[in-house]
Amino acid sequence: MTEAAKKLINLRINGKDISAPESLSVIQALWYAGYPRVKGVGCLQGVCGSCRVFVRRADSNEVSTELGCELLIEEGMDVSFLIYPIPPYQTYSLEEIPNSWEVQAKFHEIFPEAAQCRHCGGCTTTCPKDIDVEKGVELAVKGRFQEAGELFVQCVMCNLCQTACPELITPNHVALFSRRVTAYFHTRPSNLIHRLEKMRKGQLQVIE
Amino acid sequence: MTINIPYDEAIRRYRPLAERALPCTADPGEDLLQRYHPDYIADRCIQLTVGANAGDPCHRQLADVLQSDSRIDEADLAASPEVETDVLVIGGGGAGCSAALEAARAGARVILATKLRLGDSNTVMAEGGIQASIEKDDTPQMHYDDTVKGASGQIDRTLAAQMVTDGPDVIRWLIQQGMQFDLDQYGDLLTRRAGGTSAPRVLYFRDYTGLEMMRVLREAVFNSDVEVWDYCPAVELLSDQSGHCAGAVLSSLKDYTYSLVKAKSVIVATGGIGRLHLNGFPTSNHFGAVGDGLVLAYRLGAKLRDLDTFQYHPTGLAHPHHLGGTLITEGVRSAGAYLLNAASERFIDELRPRDHVAAAIIRECAEGRGVDAGHGQSGVWLDTPSIELRSPGIMEQRFPKLLHLGIKSGIDPRQQPMLIYPTLHYQNGGVIINRQGASTVPGLYCVGEVCGGVHGRNRLMGNSLLEIISFGRRAGTTAAKRVHGAGMRQKKVSLEHLRAFRRELMLAKMPLTQQSPLLFPEYAKFEKDSDYDGLRRNTRVADDG
Ligand SMILES: Cc1cc2nc3c(=O)[nH]c(=O)nc-3n(C[C@H](O)[C@H](O)[C@H](O)COP(=O)(O)OP(=O)(O)OC[C@H]3O[C@@H](n4cnc5c(N)ncnc54)[C@H](O)[C@@H]3O)c2cc1C
Ligand code: SF4
Ligand code: SF4
Ligand code: FES
Repeated sequence: MTEAAKKLINLRINGKDISAPESLSVIQALWYAGYPRVKGVGCLQGVCGSCRVFVRRADSNEVSTELGCELLIEEGMDVSFLIYPIPPYQTYSLEEIPNSWEVQAKFHEIFPEAAQCRHCGGCTTTCPKDIDVEKGVELAVKGRFQEAGELFVQCVMCNLCQTACPELITPNHVALFSRRVTAYFHTRPSNLIHRLEKMRKGQLQVIE
Repeated sequence: MTINIPYDEAIRRYRPLAERALPCTADPGEDLLQRYHPDYIADRCIQLTVGANAGDPCHRQLADVLQSDSRIDEADLAASPEVETDVLVIGGGGAGCSAALEAARAGARVILATKLRLGDSNTVMAEGGIQASIEKDDTPQMHYDDTVKGASGQIDRTLAAQMVTDGPDVIRWLIQQGMQFDLDQYGDLLTRRAGGTSAPRVLYFRDYTGLEMMRVLREAVFNSDVEVWDYCPAVELLSDQSGHCAGAVLSSLKDYTYSLVKAKSVIVATGGIGRLHLNGFPTSNHFGAVGDGLVLAYRLGAKLRDLDTFQYHPTGLAHPHHLGGTLITEGVRSAGAYLLNAASERFIDELRPRDHVAAAIIRECAEGRGVDAGHGQSGVWLDTPSIELRSPGIMEQRFPKLLHLGIKSGIDPRQQPMLIYPTLHYQNGGVIINRQGASTVPGLYCVGEVCGGVHGRNRLMGNSLLEIISFGRRAGTTAAKRVHGAGMRQKKVSLEHLRAFRRELMLAKMPLTQQSPLLFPEYAKFEKDSDYDGLRRNTRVADDG
């Protein structure tokens, strides 16, 4: 294992030819080879969605999108970093939705493009977390927000699906809207509510 | 040199078993911490010589950045554009976002500046959950008692009491922002125990609690009146004639320029220091966690505390190398996973406080009972198959993030144990604050991991996520109120405090060879990146090519 770790891999990152030990991620390989890298680096653990890369593997013409911190280098890989993720196009506030009956209408007001989804699957292909993004959009358009949101548990908001969508839909924000209204309107835990009520009455004071 | 068992050999010896007894020889003994915890390594601490904490013990590597020169001086300010706002929040993690949201809600104009992308933070990585006493057989008092007990005494009791009292309302606030939690079949919040809790009190969303919290808060901020300046690290605070905080100097990584933001209140929420890699440890922290906030606050005269104590989380990934240091949530041990040495023996009660468990792991490896992962890294097994055997399906249901980490590591944690070693996780100490998040410098608020006192010298799992929202909201509201206070007309801002600090450094014969805040870990080579030529280089970084 220590022997194997010394094996060097040759690849190209952002147009630079690099050799690095095979146990490194794309970001680590850049650093290893002496190139600075700050842009597009974040948690280094696959949850912040900053480190988006295009990847073409040896013997393949297919370009895929992945997260640079999780991507182990491979012989002959060609990698380029994407620029910063962009903020959402739309704004809304949950408080402006008067009650849960109005969620569906509000959704279509906020995300009018969503209903135009042409089911090209671009978003799903591009997702580095293998989420069925297209399905999520479809469910949200039908008003099935809870189900839609469920699909996006692992979403890191890398915005790749947003970039991929020809209809300028922002599937990740559609999904997050779906998740947020579910909590906002439907999470009503009785254990929490009991506790809040007791505390409101001034019981349960803390003595230091 | 101790020789541990090579990885391949150790994994061949391992057999999955549902139950394993804790041998009675596993008693950790009195001197476990003294002998093996990194907080007790001789010479790791020095006494600070300048600033508000002169004379106090401080970790050597942290002292280096605290007692450094500024990256900028008055000349850099002359040409920089000026912007005015009511409240400036520095840092876009959970603490910063909740502070910004509440300040904006209270009617203040708010700018939130963050080093990288909004939400790139330690918050987004939190897994295990957030504490709040909500169950029938639990009370805020029990939460308080546990927190004080876990802290080894030296805790700020007022802060701890405030935090536990805020707990239930923090959860409600998060749900109102649109955050989901794991619920039981009746829609009640699920709770679980963690090391040091006397009742089930940790609320969670799978092992993605921080991700869920952060994506919701980020979206809430983007959909509010808060003006977000991302990729804009703060390099210095500004002071007014009376030495109060009056804004900050921000550097833009997008257009490579400085700007002065004048603000009536400043809230520093810059998080921790894991990427200083204290004592050479790997870390679970995000890329930007290099203690900038401590440096900024200290130079302006804010008093800090407990600068010699850090939390090493027992279970950081030790193999594969490219994901080294990545956290595996304590939730896995709460769910009953064992820790095993290379001989597949348990060696400590897995739910003892983190410092004990971490020290015990270090002991196993130091005494040759660990597993050698290559790259100079050793570790012990986190026996994930044991919980899967006891409750089939638990991994997929409760720990999807761990499963994903396993896939990325080429290991199926349902069948194979994960190799772990303690990872530098949390800064226990930090800026001294009151219940509103105010530091000892007027106009300067600090919230979140950058602060000290709430957890004393050891933090319980789940109390940090609670702290950041509890004090984040408080500071946001208070900072917004202060804007309308008496004498709050806009004042002249300067870097006068730097001159005083430099004089102190020189009088103390400090070398002035280093500049801080660091902004990024040294291995990212930020100072040598020609992309950022517009910004003042840290000229004193050794040019090793
Ligand atoms: C892997 C991991 C798991 C964890 N799990 C848990 C858990 O289960 N439960 C729990 O309670 N706690 C947990 N913690 C601890 C907890 O997540 C953190 O302590 C907490 O989230 C810190 O929040 P914060 O807002 O203070 O700092 P952060 O979330 O780290 O945010 C700091 C922000 O400030 C920015 N910043 C830094 N320097 C500058 C600068 N110079 N200028 C501008 N911006 C700057 C950063 O980029 C970042 O956006 C965990 C921590 C880690 C690392
Ligand atoms: S759903 Fe979109 S934003 Fe979320 S992880 Fe997939 S590609 Fe990224
Ligand atoms: S990329 Fe856009 S149009 Fe295509 S399936 Fe996804 S949401 Fe629909
Ligand atoms: S750096 Fe955060 S996902 Fe890769």
